[in-house]
Amino acid sequence: MLDVRDVVTAYGKIEALKGVTLSVAEGRITCLLGPNGAGKTTLMYSIAGILKPRRGRIALKDREITGRAPDQVVQAGVALVPENRLVFPQMSVRENLTAGAYLRRDRAGIAADMERMFQRFPRLKEREGQLAGTLSGGEQQMLSVARALMSRPRLLLMDEPSLGLAPLVVEEIFRIVTELNRDGTTIFLVEQNAHMALKVAHHFYLMEQGRVSFSGTPGEVEEAEVIQRAYLGSRRAD
Amino acid sequence: MAHDLAQNTVDGLMTGSAYAMLALGFTLIFGVMRRLNLSYGPSIMIGAYLGTLVHLQFGMGAAVVALVTVLGAVAAGFYVERLCFAPMRGQAATASMVASFAIWMQLEELATLLLPRHSYPFPALIARPPFEIAGILIRADRLLTLGAAIAAMLALWLLVHRSRFGLALRATARDRATARHLGIDVDRIGLIAFLGASALGGLAGMLVIAADQQITPMFGMWATFKGLVAMMLGGLGSIPGAVIGGLLLGVVEAHGQWFFGPQLRDLLVYALLFLCLVLRAGIGAGVPSAERRI
Ligand SMILES: Nc1ncnc2c1ncn2[C@@H]1O[C@H](COP(=O)(O)OP(=O)(O)OP(=O)(O)O)[C@@H](O)[C@H]1O
Ligand SMILES: [Mg+2]
Repeated sequence: MLDVRDVVTAYGKIEALKGVTLSVAEGRITCLLGPNGAGKTTLMYSIAGILKPRRGRIALKDREITGRAPDQVVQAGVALVPENRLVFPQMSVRENLTAGAYLRRDRAGIAADMERMFQRFPRLKEREGQLAGTLSGGEQQMLSVARALMSRPRLLLMDEPSLGLAPLVVEEIFRIVTELNRDGTTIFLVEQNAHMALKVAHHFYLMEQGRVSFSGTPGEVEEAEVIQRAYLGSRRAD
Repeated sequence: MAHDLAQNTVDGLMTGSAYAMLALGFTLIFGVMRRLNLSYGPSIMIGAYLGTLVHLQFGMGAAVVALVTVLGAVAAGFYVERLCFAPMRGQAATASMVASFAIWMQLEELATLLLPRHSYPFPALIARPPFEIAGILIRADRLLTLGAAIAAMLALWLLVHRSRFGLALRATARDRATARHLGIDVDRIGLIAFLGASALGGLAGMLVIAADQQITPMFGMWATFKGLVAMMLGGLGSIPGAVIGGLLLGVVEAHGQWFFGPQLRDLLVYALLFLCLVLRAGIGAGVPSAERRI
């Protein structure tokens, strides 16, 4: 579904991605692990068109999207649930969802999807007219996911959706990730909570200092010593 | 005395409605882009001179002149946007402001040096004598300005709060980066807001100049100044605030002029502005009222 080849992305002179190659299989949940500052968010931004790679290519189903503007990437079927959720705090829940469907023109379809989101996230329905800034962290994360889904993506990029959330809420987020995937959305997930990710993801990558240093199945992850040490041996204190 | 007060207040509201419209244009640019366009008034002035040109050269009537003025202001606004704002989007707000000041000087000099005369006639929109309601004199063209200001405010509010474009505008104003994540073309939104502001300013300026029936190169400074003061009085960046600020400025000026004369009138306005800024700094400590956008 998604092919990333030799991508180099830099902030000024500093290369945050030093030639990243990986691929995300259609219909699967692929998880990207990595320590702070490894370049995970930079990769998400490079795919979403927020940052322009200096080199390399990114293709979605054999269609090249390297260096495209974010609106073209969204149109191609990619949506991003950004790190730290980034809902619009001064807008209502409903307005946030509408903003997620900005590039769509089918009013009826948008209304139907809005109802679908409210079914999937009943808590958002209860808070439909409330300002997003007044929601709890977990509810904001649901909103951020629902907002991304409003563009009807084929590929959903999720950047640390569990960050800073209580264990129960994290479980709920992961349950939703599984459900979305079962309904046909391909998911590329950045996660530091390897224990949770192991329960849902089909394939793993480990990124360190701007490079992919490991690729494998959940079984291989549990075997791999690097990951054992960093992610599974002792739970990350967050 | 009571009659004077009433007449001054009505006059002030009429003039203030033009200020309110000027402030709305400023607010649109400031609210969305956090940018101050000092060339706002001079762009309107260029539009008005173009209006005068088609009036004098081709004998066009008031409606065509009005249209040319508004379109001219939009064209001049486009020039300012490309030169001062497009090249430094999302950063260096001060650089944009300084650049727009340079363009202000450029446009003003252009008008002063190129034109053989200082002031030119501008056709009146409504050439009827004032009428009286309950002893208060009212000019029809001023009433039109008031009506246009109310219509502009409502239209702008609906556009911002009830339309797809408005949602994108607010998203961009609040959080450019996140708006981009959702596929909103923030640069395009910014350009459209800028041109819309120029059109609004052009409309306001045209109504003022048509009421005065003359245009001078000083109009640019006048319009930037009044719009800026009205926006600051209204609390920077909110639509109702811009309207209240404009009306307040108009009423205070009218009373000041009547009771103290033109010099003290301006002093009174500065005192009021000072008071507003100090009060806001006091009351608003912790409440980011200046951060409120549209
Ligand atoms: N805007 C920026 N300007 C300069 N350097 C940046 C910028 N954003 C990130 N970096 C640098 O790029 C590298 C990768 O950052 P990135 O945010 O992609 O890491 P990450 O893997 O997402 O980390 P985290 O787990 O903390 O979210 C880091 O060294 C970081 O300091
Ligand atoms: Mg990150």
